[in-house]
Amino acid sequence: MNDAIADYRQRYEAFLVKIAQNLQKLMAGYLEGVSHIDRVIARAKDPERFGEKARRKREDGSPKYNKPLTEIQDQLGARVIVFYLDDVSIVTEVVTRYFQPIEQRELVPESDWEFGYFGKHFVLPLPGDVVPRDVDPGKVPRFFELQIKTLFQHAWSEDEHDLGYKARKPLSTDQLRRLAYTAAQAWGADRVFNELWDELEG
Amino acid sequence: MPIERVHSFLVHPAKNQEEQPNIGGTRIPHNGSLFRMLTGVFDRASQECDIDIVFRPSAAGEQQNECRDLLVAYVQQPTIQRGRLIARRLQAVSTHRSGLGLLFLIKGNVDGEHRLVISRFPADQGVIAEEQHEQLSVEFVERVFMKSAKAYKSAFYSSDAPARGFWDGRAVDLQITGPRELSDYWIREFLLSELRTTGPAGTKRLAVALRAAILSGDDLAVKHELISAANLMRGQDGHRQSTRQLIQRLGLSEAATNALEAAIPRADLLDEVFQFDRAEFERHAPYRAVGLDNGALLIAEDARFNEVFRQQPVNEPEGQVRYITQGRVVEEQLRKTR
Repeated sequence: MNDAIADYRQRYEAFLVKIAQNLQKLMAGYLEGVSHIDRVIARAKDPERFGEKARRKREDGSPKYNKPLTEIQDQLGARVIVFYLDDVSIVTEVVTRYFQPIEQRELVPESDWEFGYFGKHFVLPLPGDVVPRDVDPGKVPRFFELQIKTLFQHAWSEDEHDLGYKARKPLSTDQLRRLAYTAAQAWGADRVFNELWDELEG
Repeated sequence: MPIERVHSFLVHPAKNQEEQPNIGGTRIPHNGSLFRMLTGVFDRASQECDIDIVFRPSAAGEQQNECRDLLVAYVQQPTIQRGRLIARRLQAVSTHRSGLGLLFLIKGNVDGEHRLVISRFPADQGVIAEEQHEQLSVEFVERVFMKSAKAYKSAFYSSDAPARGFWDGRAVDLQITGPRELSDYWIREFLLSELRTTGPAGTKRLAVALRAAILSGDDLAVKHELISAANLMRGQDGHRQSTRQLIQRLGLSEAATNALEAAIPRADLLDEVFQFDRAEFERHAPYRAVGLDNGALLIAEDARFNEVFRQQPVNEPEGQVRYITQGRVVEEQLRKTR
């Protein structure tokens, strides 16, 4: 396991950061001319975070990943942030024109009574266009993760990741409820802005 | 010995048949000329299979694919029962046009990676001649399988973690240039896969490279050749091919080929197969050509066309227009065709 983590760090420094930059440019190129795109970002997973993920265990104590360099699919990740909810489907159309997904999911909370993480996720083949000429494609992840989010979904998931996901101790019931409250507000704001766009400009 | 297990199954054409024929299967021993031939197929597969493919997700969009599930199960435990399930999948999509086929599943381990090669040989007809003393017996047979058969199809998967890997692979279908349904049979219907590079992605890469090659060079003859190539490419709509195959088909000169190849981000992308998409090509087309009913043909860089040629309406109801341009003549050529 430590070998894989060390190997990842070496790849990160040698070419993954550069590939992420190229991926960002490529995605922005594909989305040229599409309205209401706030920004397109791409990143290579931080080596510390890769190490944490690679060491995860299942409930029975066995390692979750035996070959993390093959099995972890978000070593490279991209995010497209759009203004309004209706823009998500417009961007989805562009994404599926240029990529053949192996996964395409709408992430919503499990229960209709819950508020939490919302977003559109894809797992897509990494195009060879973004791999520098001197890099062995055999050492490059075969896939990357793409998320399409509205501004409010993006803002909420960033804060939740910082306060909830990375929290040092389990959150209390009240803290969880307050996080769900902010998710509900973000959800509501998305709905209202989308309706306003439809009424005023659509 | 990298090959661990080989199974073979006789697959009948049984698409849309309620009752599927039984599938005979056998384990191939690791000796003899058949095994030597299959070792060659296994060893060559990584080179021979040159079409990058990925499995489709489930209807719900999840990372789950029925064909991949069968392949992974077989790789994890290569038994004849698990192999027969793969053969059954192939049989259920085989039409009479595809005909009877002999399926080989070759599981191996190369450099710590699980490798699976799937090959289908079509049945052919032949004659067996046997000599006994001074007598010769001749017999016509209908189930001959030749490794040189034209419809040879193969697929290749390799991963150090098949349970999470094996999402992409490579395939070959020697009838890929023929009617599309033949390649659809192997890649889309049997393997439940699609080309890794979508038509618009491959086409955009080509159009952008073509534009860069035209704009970057100083050689007017090469520029002209590439502009002509761009016009000819518009006729390739729907064709599945790699950029290298397209260059060869259009018969580009060495200089034009070099200019185009230099503008592609990586040399190995020249061999990626995609389905040419004319609408996408037009979006990024480097030059716009307008033909008039009087035989005139006007060509200019797309982005500057309206600046180079000014248009004046002459007789609007009849669609008559006049184009005006002004410049110094830097080149003049006589051409047999557009």
